[in-house]
Amino acid sequence: MVVLKISNLTVAYPERIALQNVSFEMKNPALLAVIGPNGAGKTTLLKTMLGLIKPISGTVEILGMNPFKEGAKVRRIIGYVPQRERIDPTMPVLVKDVVLMGRTPKLPLGAWFRTIDLEAAKEALSLVGMENYWDEPYIHLSGGQQQRVLIARALASNPKLLLLDEPFAGVDLTSRSLILDVIRHKVKEGVGAIVVSHNPEPASIADLVLLLNVEVMAFGSKDDVLKPELIQSVYGMPVILGLPNLSGDDHV
Amino acid sequence: MECPLFLGYPIYLVMIMFEFFSSPLILRALLALVISSIMTAVIGTFTVLRGLSTMGAAIAHASLAGAVLGVIIGIEPVLGAFLLSIVFALATAYVGEEGGGRMDILLGVSFGFSTSIAILFISMLSAYTVAAWSFLIGDVLGVTEGELAILFAFTVASICLVIVFYKEFKFITFDEEGAEAMGLRVRFIHYFMILLIAIATVVALRVVGSILTVVMLVAPAAAAYEFSHSLERMIILSVLIAVISSLSGFFISIRANVATSAVIGVITSITFLLSLILSTKRRKCACRLVSPVRLVKEKQTAFKKHVPRCSQATLEKKT
Repeated sequence: MVVLKISNLTVAYPERIALQNVSFEMKNPALLAVIGPNGAGKTTLLKTMLGLIKPISGTVEILGMNPFKEGAKVRRIIGYVPQRERIDPTMPVLVKDVVLMGRTPKLPLGAWFRTIDLEAAKEALSLVGMENYWDEPYIHLSGGQQQRVLIARALASNPKLLLLDEPFAGVDLTSRSLILDVIRHKVKEGVGAIVVSHNPEPASIADLVLLLNVEVMAFGSKDDVLKPELIQSVYGMPVILGLPNLSGDDHV
Repeated sequence: MECPLFLGYPIYLVMIMFEFFSSPLILRALLALVISSIMTAVIGTFTVLRGLSTMGAAIAHASLAGAVLGVIIGIEPVLGAFLLSIVFALATAYVGEEGGGRMDILLGVSFGFSTSIAILFISMLSAYTVAAWSFLIGDVLGVTEGELAILFAFTVASICLVIVFYKEFKFITFDEEGAEAMGLRVRFIHYFMILLIAIATVVALRVVGSILTVVMLVAPAAAAYEFSHSLERMIILSVLIAVISSLSGFFISIRANVATSAVIGVITSITFLLSLILSTKRRKCACRLVSPVRLVKEKQTAFKKHVPRCSQATLEKKT
C-alpha cells in the first residue's frame, strides 16, 4: 500500500496561495525531508495531510485513506511532533504526562491509562534516551530534551506515519543525533517519516527530498534534489549542507 | 461549685463557637463558601492555563444579567444566571473561532456587552435592587437551602465532568495543535471547558458576587501555578488556597462587620501577589536543570552504550 500520495494539491488562504499543484508520492516507508524557505507552504502541507485544512483542489491519500473524509481515523495513525516553540514550556506537566498524551486519543472519554499505555509510554521514552526523566517536570528539561520528549509522545501512539515539524530547530548536537537515530530506527520498522524543515540540512540524511516553494521545485533522492544551483534558486543564497551528526551549526 | 477563673474564658469561647457554628445561617454560608471555592479553584486552573481569565470576567457579568433577569421574570435567579451565562459563553467562544479576529479585542467587547446587559436589567428592576446588589457583590449569609442544593449539584456534576475529561483537558491545555493533529476533538473539548467556566461563575455569583467572581476563578489558581510542576499539584494547591482564603475572609469579615466578598477578594489577591514574590518555580527554572546524581548516572549509561566493551584484563593491559 502506498504510504502517501498527493495529487495536484492546491491550498489557498484568503490573502495568498499557500500550495499550488503539488504532487508527489511515497510508495514505501521512508524518511522524506520537506525543505523550503519560510512561507513555502511546508506546515500547510502537513496540516492538509492531517485533514485540518481543506484544499481548493487535489487529493491526499494516506495509507489508502482520505484525510478529508476519514480525518479522525487518519489522525489516530499519525504521530505528530509540532514545532517546539509553539508549546509553552512553563506549563505544569511532568515528562510522563506529555508522553502519555500520545496514548490519550486511543482511549475513550473517562478511561484512565492502562498498564499497556504506561508500558508503551515508557518504551517510547527509553527509545529517545529519556527513561530517567519519567517523573521530571517538563520545564526542567533543555530544548533538545523537550524535543525528544515530544518525539516520544508521537512514538507512544504507535504511529504508522510520523510527521515532524522542524524537529531539529534549536536542538543540541546530542539530541539531534539521537532524534535522527530514532527516526531511522522507526523507518526500518516500516513507519514512514516526514520531516519538515526550513533548513535544508535534514535533506542530506533523508531517503527522499521534496524541495517546496509553494510549488514542487524538485522531488526525488537527495542526489537529485540537493544540487547547489537548485537550492540557491529557491533559498536565494548559496547553501552549504553539513551533516547533522558532525556539526551543531545550521549551514544556511 | 464555681468554675475557676482561668477556665472561664476558654469555656466561654467554646460556647460562643458552638453557638456560632450551630446557626443554620452560618453553616449554610460556610458550606456555600467551601463548595464555591472548590469549584472555582478546579475550573480556575484550566481558565488560567488556557488564558481565559478575561472570558471568565465577561461570563461572570453575563451570569449577573441572567440572575437579575430571573428576578424580573420570576424564576430562580441561579437558573437565570446559569442559562444566560452558558448562552453568552458559547456564543463568545463561537464568534471567537469563526470570526477569526483578535481574541483580546473580542473578549474586551464581550466583557463590556455582558456588563451593559446586566446594568440594563438592573435598571429595569424597581423594587428588587437589594437582590441585584446581592448578585453584584455577593451575599453568602443570604444563601438559602434551595440555592445551596443547586450550587452543590452544579459543583458535583462539574467535578465529575472534569474527572471524565481530565486527560483530554490536560492535552489541549498543553498543546492544542498536537492534540488536534493526533485525533482529539479539540473544538468540542474547548467548548466543554467554556461551559464549565460558565457554571463556575454561576456557583461563585451568589457567594462573592459578579465583580469578584473572576478573582476567585483566577487568583488561587495563578498563585498555585507558582509552586506547581504538575497539573494535579496545581489543582490541589489551588483548592487549598481558595478554601483557606474564603474561610479566613469569612471569619474576618464577620468579626470586623464588613462585606465578606471584599475581604475574600483582598485575601486571595494578596495571596497571589505573595506567591509571585515567593515563587519557587521562577527561581528554580534558572538554576536547576538536572540533579547531579542523575547526571553521573546518565554519563555512565552513555559510556556503557557508546564505548566498545572490553574485559578487565584488556583494560589492565592497556594501563
